[in-house]
Amino acid sequence: MSDAPSPRGAALRSARELAQAISSVERGGAGADALIQEALAQLATATGPAARVIGVTGPPGAGKSTLVGALADRAREEGRRVAILAVDPSSAVSGGALLGDRVRVEERPDDDGRFMRSIATRGSGRSLSHAAAAASLLIEAAGFDLLFIETVGAGQADLGIVRLADLVLLVEGPEGGDEVQAMKAGLLESADLVVVNKGDRPGADRAVERLRSGLALGADAPEVLLTSATEGSGVTELLRALDAAALRRGRGGRVRRVAAHLAAAVEARAAERLRAAEADGRLEALARGITDGLRPLSGAVDELLQG
Amino acid sequence: MTERTAPIRVLIAKPGLDGHDRGAKVLARGLRDEGFEVIYTGIRRTTEAIIAAAIEEDVDVVGCSILSGAHATLLPKVVAGLREAGAADVLVVAGGIIPEEDRVGLEAAGISAIFGPGSTIAEIAMYLRANVRRP
Repeated sequence: MSDAPSPRGAALRSARELAQAISSVERGGAGADALIQEALAQLATATGPAARVIGVTGPPGAGKSTLVGALADRAREEGRRVAILAVDPSSAVSGGALLGDRVRVEERPDDDGRFMRSIATRGSGRSLSHAAAAASLLIEAAGFDLLFIETVGAGQADLGIVRLADLVLLVEGPEGGDEVQAMKAGLLESADLVVVNKGDRPGADRAVERLRSGLALGADAPEVLLTSATEGSGVTELLRALDAAALRRGRGGRVRRVAAHLAAAVEARAAERLRAAEADGRLEALARGITDGLRPLSGAVDELLQG
Repeated sequence: MTERTAPIRVLIAKPGLDGHDRGAKVLARGLRDEGFEVIYTGIRRTTEAIIAAAIEEDVDVVGCSILSGAHATLLPKVVAGLREAGAADVLVVAGGIIPEEDRVGLEAAGISAIFGPGSTIAEIAMYLRANVRRP
């Protein structure tokens, strides 16, 4: 600490500050609230547009990480400061997680205009961490103007990312759009843009056609593009389409992210109360009372939520 | 400080040029099953990339797997880089094939532990739980 840090050391230290703040909001509690408030206070005085937050989702193996890495490289060439938040599931059994998205993203250790962080879903039981919205605010306050949040799309109505992001990009592989489509109805419906990645593989063009014709049935159908992240084709066009779609929508911004944070906190609190009621037997006692006609069903849920 | 509730975060890195990552993958998977959050970086990472990743991921431990014989130069660079970044509290451990006579020098350079080919996942997990420096 005594000698003055090199420029590289200084950049690493500021990355460390952001990284530790993200860990703190992952842990939650009063310290986390203070950090989020501080970030919001800082952003309130900032000039310039709010950061753009793009959710990237889709089935495993579609090439999301590689594509996000390619998009980040392209955005850096345009001088934008880019961050990536990669979310992977925690094991329900051990609580551990294997976070492997960095394998697919080229490391650029000398570039302090980039930041990448992997987070596990921890207790959320969903495809998004409860801390993702808070982390997005911290990242924005640290001066990043474009943030990609990558999640494994769980299909169904797992739409936390829709709540949080300004824009949702759905990434499909070359075999996408078929039986997968039914499964992923929830996500397809809420995607602002769809991309078929691995466009160099056979069948990719047909996947684009399938998705276009499937989506054309609905109103306000999202655009379907084709990329090959490994070959770099279509990436510039995709970044441009994302920017255009974000402008068209004009929604989003910080209020959206704060709302997403509050929603996540409510879900976390409810889940915590439920776990506690299961652990100390209150849930079962309530259920028994209701089953035996000793107490009414109505009011039971409120009782559990009050803890 | 109360008892730690968040999982311990470990970066598993393969510095240097050898591409044998089976051991690193087995360890990554095994530590996940032990309840750790494991960030795996892939093969052939520069020490600069490993340091930057460790900082961004705010890990408690950096585990370097080395089979190439380049440990004597690479591992001390990781330790030094973390110190420069103000992250001297990150534990640096190594695994792989490291000759007995090199151990003393590596330990002097700040490598906390060296796990040879016979080490079990349970043993490594126990060591990490007992030795992470951050609450």
